[in-house]
Amino acid sequence: MEDRVCGARCTACGKESYPAHAVCPKCGGLEFEAFEVSGEGKVLTYTDVYALPLDYALRYLRLAIVELNGGLRATGQLLDEEPKIGKRVRATIGVVRTSGGRKIHGLQFVPM
Amino acid sequence: MRKVAIIGAGMTRFGRSEATLVDLLSQASLAALGAASLGERRVDAVYVANMGAARLNRQTAVASALVDALQLFPAMAESVENGPASGASAFKNGYQAVASGMADVVLVTGGERMRAVNNLEATDFVASLSHPQAEYIYGVTLPALAGLFTRLYMDRYGVKPEHLARVAIKNHANAAKNPYAHIRQEITMEGILTSPDAVVNNPFIADPLRLYDCCPVSDGAAALVLCPLETAQTLGGPVVRIGGIGQATDTHAVHERPDPTQLSAVRLAAQKAFSMAGLTPKEIDVAELHDAFTILEIAESEEAGFFEKGKGHLALEKGVTALSGKLPINPSGGLKAKGHPVGATGVAQLVELVWQLRGEAGQRQVKGAKTAFACNFGGFGNNVVASVLQREG
Amino acid sequence: MSHEDELEGLLRPPAMDMPPYPPKVITLASGEEMVVRQIDRDEVPTLLKAIAPLIWVERDFYDVVAARLFGELLAYKRYRVRDEYCLVGLIDGVLAGIVNGRAVSPEVGMSYHTLTIRRGLRVGSHLFAAKMEYHIDFLKEQEVLIVAESPIGFRRWMIEYPLDKKYEVQHELGGVPSWTLTKKTYLAAKPRLVAGRRPVSEKLLERAKAIVLPGDELVKAQVLGDKEEAL
Repeated sequence: MEDRVCGARCTACGKESYPAHAVCPKCGGLEFEAFEVSGEGKVLTYTDVYALPLDYALRYLRLAIVELNGGLRATGQLLDEEPKIGKRVRATIGVVRTSGGRKIHGLQFVPM
Repeated sequence: MRKVAIIGAGMTRFGRSEATLVDLLSQASLAALGAASLGERRVDAVYVANMGAARLNRQTAVASALVDALQLFPAMAESVENGPASGASAFKNGYQAVASGMADVVLVTGGERMRAVNNLEATDFVASLSHPQAEYIYGVTLPALAGLFTRLYMDRYGVKPEHLARVAIKNHANAAKNPYAHIRQEITMEGILTSPDAVVNNPFIADPLRLYDCCPVSDGAAALVLCPLETAQTLGGPVVRIGGIGQATDTHAVHERPDPTQLSAVRLAAQKAFSMAGLTPKEIDVAELHDAFTILEIAESEEAGFFEKGKGHLALEKGVTALSGKLPINPSGGLKAKGHPVGATGVAQLVELVWQLRGEAGQRQVKGAKTAFACNFGGFGNNVVASVLQREG
Repeated sequence: MSHEDELEGLLRPPAMDMPPYPPKVITLASGEEMVVRQIDRDEVPTLLKAIAPLIWVERDFYDVVAARLFGELLAYKRYRVRDEYCLVGLIDGVLAGIVNGRAVSPEVGMSYHTLTIRRGLRVGSHLFAAKMEYHIDFLKEQEVLIVAESPIGFRRWMIEYPLDKKYEVQHELGGVPSWTLTKKTYLAAKPRLVAGRRPVSEKLLERAKAIVLPGDELVKAQVLGDKEEAL
């Protein structure tokens, strides 16, 4: 589903991981169910990337690692004019890259 | 397991080349083989470190191509790909071949012909080592991961832009003494940080990292010749022994690491290498660390055990890691100024250290160097190979 | 008026009143100081000597840029191009780079070429920015039309300023239609991209009075980034 970013919840121990792995990081389990990476959290760190790869015609791109409530972490784009370590943000879904004409959706964090 | 020595080392000038990848690998290999005085001995196995041949140069099975170029058949041969740690991984494989008795003379060579594509393509190619769904799609590049890391590091340990600048200035000064370096231009604090014009000279790449915090995109190759220690001892001249090699891995997505300022794979790999060599970090005379970004030289110097975590920048400030200091780091100029043809780097670090241990490092010579350490940093720290070399006698 | 003067009058373009470019000094990453100043027509022969060997260097489109720049400067010297100017960058008096262009009208400038001789220190970036500074801050134009031969440098300007497309205008250098740098974009980009301090000290100005040429071999080595050892 293109408008959700999903992690994997281990059916044996309930541990939620993002990204998904073939083996549960906590208990070694092999069965998972998908869950949506969403909600609120705080910025752990961020950067403005000026030397961009293919597919971007921007002067720079703001990226962040966010720690969501509950401890799950995610990397995504940060749509905040005044970023700060520790600032509270909310996860949304948006177009994060257009590759070969195809729009790719992913996490975009906005200030609360 | 036999003890293993390095009897030959060579490299091409790093920088911009019109030569093909196999040409570069051949050049470096011939230089190392020439230095090895093999006599009648034949090369049994060839390990080629390379990350980008398939994508950048549209060529695969490079090791087989090299064997043909060098007329080394029927030697065993294969390519080794471990991202930016390909070089040290190939070296590790070469070591294992000799130590196990499977081969008596091994050629280890690493190379990259990165400038066959434009900068956007090269950036994207390196970015392909990041997690495809959780990192790459966001426009994450290696500088982006380094930028995220640097901001956190500065926030937590008080590292300042001046410290990052010092790494670059030191490494540029060292590279000015290295005929093989890509960039042989000295830079100053005024020019890159403190003058009003510095902001234009030194723009952001992935803030807080600036242009002079990031290594260039380079073409080049480096090579080593390995053999059993016993054989090396019969050849005369200073003998360089492989004391220890360690490797460790970590999470793929950087955000999954419990503490993203820790480089646990560096720590573990270094510990294993030291343990195998029976040495401690205090006994190291000279080191080559993987400074693809200036912050990494500081962070790796701590994780490898040379300085306390969070204090590496203080040692740098005091001049401990300068060429004339107590523990010179990156006498070659490091990746920052010597250059970083990705597959070549791990091998080139060891080439520099072999020269240092043999007293052949010219103007960069660290006096009396007897023990050396190298750290080759793959992915963004999720696959690291560390090596300890020692001079006998 | 003599017959020759009359003919010269037919062939020499009228000249707009163009204020001179005030020299400035830039601290480069190496700590060296580069003086950026305008040249007089009588300095053109010296520049032509520096440019000529590069006409045979294919790498990075040096050959096309050098050949065209040679022609433009020669035409400037002989009064056969309207309202052209040329700025040079000098490090300790030694020629590091050349830029040129001309004023099309009081509102519009036309950027010609950027030739870097001393590489690795963003000399080209600094001189290109100095050109834009001349057009907008000193000639008081509203925009500057730009194209380039080399894709590498051009992509950098395109994204860094950024430049806007102005495809309805054919650039004088021929080839592709123009891009433009507007006054608005320039002013926003100025803190990031335009370096240098004024006034330049008497001592530095004295040092930058005569243009010293790097030797032919040095120029080639710089431009080619040192010869690779042939296999």
